[in-house]
Amino acid sequence: MNSMERVVMALNHQEPDRVPVYPLLAGVSRNLIGANCREWSTDADTCAKGLLKAREEFDLDCIVTLIDLSVECTAWGQELVFPEHEAAHPNYKNQVIGDEDEYDKIQYVDFHTCDRMMMHIDVCKKLVEASKGEFPVIAFVFGPLGTLSMLRNQEEMYVDCIEQPEVVHDTAGIITQVLQEYCDALLDTGVQGIMFDTLFSSGSIMSKDMWDELEGEWVQQLAEHVHARGAMVMIHNCGGKIYFDAQINRMHPEAISFLYPPDDCADFVECKEKYGDVTTLIGCVAPTTVTVGTPEKVEAECKANIDAMAKGGGFMLATGCELISPDAFDNARLMVDIAKTYGAYKK
Amino acid sequence: MSEVLEQIATMLQKGKRKDVAKLCQQAIDEGIDANEVLTKGLLAGMDVVGAKFKANEIFVPQVLVSARAMKAGSEVLKPYLAGENTTGKGKVVIGTVQGDLHDIGKNLVIMMFEGKGFEVIDLGVDVSPEKFIQTAIDENCDIIGLSALLTTTMPVMGEVVKAAEEAGIRDRVKIMVGGAPVTQEFADSIGADAYTEDAPSAAEKALELLAG
Repeated sequence: MNSMERVVMALNHQEPDRVPVYPLLAGVSRNLIGANCREWSTDADTCAKGLLKAREEFDLDCIVTLIDLSVECTAWGQELVFPEHEAAHPNYKNQVIGDEDEYDKIQYVDFHTCDRMMMHIDVCKKLVEASKGEFPVIAFVFGPLGTLSMLRNQEEMYVDCIEQPEVVHDTAGIITQVLQEYCDALLDTGVQGIMFDTLFSSGSIMSKDMWDELEGEWVQQLAEHVHARGAMVMIHNCGGKIYFDAQINRMHPEAISFLYPPDDCADFVECKEKYGDVTTLIGCVAPTTVTVGTPEKVEAECKANIDAMAKGGGFMLATGCELISPDAFDNARLMVDIAKTYGAYKK
Repeated sequence: MSEVLEQIATMLQKGKRKDVAKLCQQAIDEGIDANEVLTKGLLAGMDVVGAKFKANEIFVPQVLVSARAMKAGSEVLKPYLAGENTTGKGKVVIGTVQGDLHDIGKNLVIMMFEGKGFEVIDLGVDVSPEKFIQTAIDENCDIIGLSALLTTTMPVMGEVVKAAEEAGIRDRVKIMVGGAPVTQEFADSIGADAYTEDAPSAAEKALELLAG
């Protein structure tokens, strides 16, 4: 059984030979090919080469193209900082929306003019070509509110969510229009789905009602569009107490990648009972455990995840968020080994 | 309690910064002692905000607007408080560790500390161990608060603990750590005095540490 067959069975809530596995190794894959962060995140060849090397070296069942969270915002001219050893981020001293009355700076833009979006599309093309249909490639897109938060100081945006929610909502709508066309171009490369980062749909940040009011309509539009194209919708949200119910209601995702139990579940066992038939669960090993934990701790956490969520399929073992340090490599290999052994389904 | 002080606490909870500033001035004009306005108006309101935040009744945006209201009120009171730490709860130096630029979690902790009456020195983000230690010495701080959001910057917290030992101040400062990837196990491994998983708990823990 190859990775594509394995993942497809899991997504169809059937038991493949074993649980699919992918510790989320994205930017850190640059270390495998001797590239620095800027090269990896700005050059499609280098980025694709790193991601493919990680898949090969760790025997990953899937590639998710998480480059960084600052890809989309550059379409509106957000200046970025590219540190040598960490992910690119906005220049927080020079944000596009510097003041509460500057939201009208965000208007429709043609994504073809955005170098980073075009680079991501190119990365997806290269990965899909290299996959030869043997493993899935999922394109990662920061959601409308997330993209907006990279254009406006995040703390200021939270205040705006209270003081001028209609402006935040409407601006997220303009961003959605551009993201939808961007998703089309990503899907044209042949990727199997789009994974939307819905960071704000989390009890760590805002109320369920506020999230639904500000972003619900827009992620629903995006999800319906992706589904209409015959592709999968996935969600990534590594916040605490995330809102499975509200996001499922809006997006009907094929899978959710997460780190902590949702707001309405006490633990992963309850999460499986409540949502295991509705969507595929991806996670939920803590990146901290994999990065600084002992092999014994990693093994225990992986096994606990498998015990809680693997039964009947509909589960992929992954880290709940990105691994950003090469210190995690040995334990990431261990995760894959555990999926291959302890995660084998007994027929 | 005076009606105006109750109004200050209520408006602060609603995040109405202009109203809070106006009411603080009104309280002063009515002859209420500035320290009483601070403790029974602003801090009382912030205490409720912290409790509701901890109980998931309100969330980050609501806390931020309340904190801004508190700041607006504090600005009005400042000339009357003569810059002293009027509550005597203790002094905290806090920052996000070197290599890490994330500050919202740290800022929430500051708000909760201030809401409990601590004097807080905010060193911002990307702060070196040396800067934490020097500030703790110069300002005679009771607590050093360390924040990190990246697994790659967590080890700097251990460097701060070591630097405090080397500087000979470890026995008189408490070191608290927090941030999304930080765990109790990690805090124990580096010899920190406390870890809490959310901002309101951090402020409560700080009170416990200094009490005891």
